Amino acid sequence: MDKAVATLDKGTTCSSWNYCGQRLATGSTDGTLSIFDSPDPSSSSFTCNLKTKVHAGAILKVVWVPPEFGDAVACICSDGSLLLWEEIVEDAQPLQWKLCKSFESTSTQVLDVQFGVSSTSLKLVAAYSDGHVKVYELLDPLILKNWQLQAEFQNAIDSVTMFRKASCISASISWNPQKGENQGSSFVLGFNSDTPQLNSSKVWEFDEAHNRWLPVAELALPEDRSDEVYAVAWALNIGRPYEVIAVATQKGIAIWHVGANPELDGRLSVEKVALLSGHGGEVWQMEWDMSGTTLATTGSDGMVRLWQSNLNGVWDEQAAFQPTA
Amino acid sequence: MSGENQGGAIVPYSEEAKKPVVYPLRHGLKPPISRLGISWSRGNSLRVTVFRQPSEDSENEVGGKAVEVRLDGRDGEISDAQWRRIAYGSVSPFALLQSRKNSFASLSKISSTTSPFDAEWWEYVLEYSKDISSLLGNQTSTTQSLIEDPKEVLKKDPEPSNLKAAWELMESFYADKLSQAWLPERLVDWLADYDSLFSSTQETVHSKLVDFQKDLVSLQVIEDEPKYWEVMSSALAVGWLDIVVKLLRLHGSYQLDQLGNRETENGLVEAVAVLISKMPRMRPELEAGKLGECFKAKPDFMKAWEKWRAQIAKLECSTFWIQCAHRQTQEGLRNMLQIMLGNTNNLCTLTCHWMELYIAHFLYIRPFTVGLESMYGLAQKCIQLKPMAASHRLMGLLIGILGENIEVVLAECSKGFGPWMVTHAIEVLTAGSHQADTLLHEERDNLGGISMEELHRLVYAQVLSSHPLTWQIAPIYLTSCIKQGMGLLEMLLYKQPVDHNQLLLKNLEICRLYELDSVSSNIMKHGKKGSGVYWLQQARDEARLNRIAQQMFDSVGRSISDENFRQWEGLIQLLGSEPKTAGGLEFLHNYRDFKKSLLQIRDGKTTDAARQAVESLISLMKNPCTPQRFWLPLLHDSLKLLNWEERPLLNVLQTNLLLNKLQELSIARLRPDFIEADLPPHALSSVRLALATNLGRTTLEEQ
Repeated sequence: MDKAVATLDKGTTCSSWNYCGQRLATGSTDGTLSIFDSPDPSSSSFTCNLKTKVHAGAILKVVWVPPEFGDAVACICSDGSLLLWEEIVEDAQPLQWKLCKSFESTSTQVLDVQFGVSSTSLKLVAAYSDGHVKVYELLDPLILKNWQLQAEFQNAIDSVTMFRKASCISASISWNPQKGENQGSSFVLGFNSDTPQLNSSKVWEFDEAHNRWLPVAELALPEDRSDEVYAVAWALNIGRPYEVIAVATQKGIAIWHVGANPELDGRLSVEKVALLSGHGGEVWQMEWDMSGTTLATTGSDGMVRLWQSNLNGVWDEQAAFQPTA
Repeated sequence: MSGENQGGAIVPYSEEAKKPVVYPLRHGLKPPISRLGISWSRGNSLRVTVFRQPSEDSENEVGGKAVEVRLDGRDGEISDAQWRRIAYGSVSPFALLQSRKNSFASLSKISSTTSPFDAEWWEYVLEYSKDISSLLGNQTSTTQSLIEDPKEVLKKDPEPSNLKAAWELMESFYADKLSQAWLPERLVDWLADYDSLFSSTQETVHSKLVDFQKDLVSLQVIEDEPKYWEVMSSALAVGWLDIVVKLLRLHGSYQLDQLGNRETENGLVEAVAVLISKMPRMRPELEAGKLGECFKAKPDFMKAWEKWRAQIAKLECSTFWIQCAHRQTQEGLRNMLQIMLGNTNNLCTLTCHWMELYIAHFLYIRPFTVGLESMYGLAQKCIQLKPMAASHRLMGLLIGILGENIEVVLAECSKGFGPWMVTHAIEVLTAGSHQADTLLHEERDNLGGISMEELHRLVYAQVLSSHPLTWQIAPIYLTSCIKQGMGLLEMLLYKQPVDHNQLLLKNLEICRLYELDSVSSNIMKHGKKGSGVYWLQQARDEARLNRIAQQMFDSVGRSISDENFRQWEGLIQLLGSEPKTAGGLEFLHNYRDFKKSLLQIRDGKTTDAARQAVESLISLMKNPCTPQRFWLPLLHDSLKLLNWEERPLLNVLQTNLLLNKLQELSIARLRPDFIEADLPPHALSSVRLALATNLGRTTLEEQ
């Protein structure tokens, strides 16, 4: 049932599979980026073919750039910087990885970064330790180094108040994974911070007409709004009339249904359909499967859990995996 | 069992399994584990990365493992290769049935008399069911040796599988309308084929026979052996008449040297054997080698049955028994008569589990049972009398079928036999029951607006997608899902690797087939930049193509007098296959031609080449796409043409055009953002001089 597909080096801290699961990028404490490949698409055995030192400190997170934009990864480093590394093939030279963009930030650290593809461009959202969110846009679809800051805001419904002294431990971003010509850009974002107003997960949508990002939904009941958010995950939608988003806080994993069309006030209708408890403490990661019906989660209890809704709309844990030697 | 609890789950779990099953995830790392990472791979395989807490002591230790977990709900009964064979084999029966269903649906729109429950439709469903069944292994084709071993009572059947057994149940009860009249007899056959499947968890009549077969070779006087009589009685109880008769004929009294003094005994044995072989059966036919007399009509059968029973009763009361000296034979044979007379106690002791007892009831106690309701009642009774040692998935399915609870049947199919089974079984289920048809096609809000049928197909397609050798057939199932199939197909295609051309082409073929233009153009953009241009061209991504052309200007511009322009030629050719897609292409084309002509001039100094070069130069300079910073380098390259010795190559109009451009350039140079070409300082003045000279010469010539 389970099969080891790759062996990681000592000190590996993070990993990320590319869009088709045929390449694995890992980052380690010494700042080394390793790329694992398999010899052919039917094989499921991956070996490390390339190592590049990308940073003096540790790499905390690796994220692949969407495949339409080449083979590149974003690395979040321990000093809070964000680096984009790209695989370059130059004439007659072996494949190599080169730094194509470094997003400098002096006082704050990048906590999470995610890419979103819209019909027109590639966007990058980065969440910072001071509670700020920056959205960058790629100016030229062929050159991964030219990014323009499109917007900067805080994860609060009230856009007027600025929370100056926010200190955030972690953040989680998830783009609406829908691909399509007419699809607008939207993502969900939650913080784990000391500033209650920033924590709760909000759905942000790009308002093309006014060229700005607007919070269109808040995924927290009034009494839960200050809860620190560990992770968010936007489910793929292959035909449902509503969106499904999972939000993990210390109270458990909440499953939200989000309406497709805005109501009169511009907000999307939201409904919390389930609260799942399983991991006890922190939830590290949540991932939806390709049909958007099964949610896989992992957390501080060291387990992997799978969740599904049954025919009556009741969410249940369907299976759990306990890592053993 | 209420449908509320049982049929609710997508992957249904019984009530007691409310707590999820915890599976071990073996990674082989030494503790401590610091963190886990998860990622869905293709289909429904999940990749878990296990990170180890680094320790100081050892240098070469492993830092973690990536482990793939397959969630296709399959057991190990059938090998991977066999599974793929089944998966591929079931595609065409499935697709054929879908297309027939579609044509039936369009027919029934025209005339209200045609409904999918027509006789013709039944035949299609049965044909489908038989096609699927044949994929699961052939039960009847036993390899028979030419010389039959008289002591081989059990034929070595090819390994029967639970899956095949389950499919046959579905076929008997839902697909095969003709078998409805003789369902009990079909179950007799079914148990004969599959009783061995229960042997792993408990004793069965089959396992008793297997054991006895081993002893048979070493037994001298078989009729002295109590096991001989017991095994025969058990086999008789479940209706394996051919085996019983074969065993009876091994009786010592048949031996030539003994026939004389054991005449009566042998007569009794033979009488029982004949009675057994003459047993009336309520069924249209029997397989070759099987015993009994078939009756199609119930009245005939009942008459024959009464007669047969009277003969048994008569033999039972016969005085010959007193003359039978061999005690074991006498007892054994009379026991067998009791079985045939339907002695409940005997049947209960001789059978091993409820299904065997159930079959015995059909054969000897309630031979006239018809209808699922009474069959279900009888099953309940037998389960109470002789429960199974462990619950078995086939029994769960059978109870669901007999109980006419479609939700349970679906749940058991899915839980016990996985997504392949449930997806394909739905076809026979909906054909066989209106209730199932409604249940499976009802659109459910809780499922995001899809029906259960669609849900199960989506789940199966996802299983197919998990494997690089089976994903290609997933589209067949996805396109039969009207609501969400296309959405999942898009996801599936998007997640296919594109680094391998063959795979990519297959992908595009699928996109073309299902008119997924936006997906195909997205897929095409994934490729490496080298082949990227070609694919961008195919994807008609003008924005990107223009950008590439722009980039090529830049690099071409940088190395305008370099030989390495050659390496671009191929790309320009490629970019040029549809010149309209990129505005800058015309420039690149002209530029290529211009360079070519210049080279020819350098080599051979022909006037023709020079004329062509001038043509190219003029179109280059006329083209609004030609970047301004190229103007001077182009003109500088053309000095030779402007100063052509034999005669001026440019006419007045052309010369004026170039002079104007030069003028424009001089003005542009005053702007701060002007980029100076990397040329000798006197370049501009030498071009101006050359143009002026040319103008003079050509004016003279034209006059």
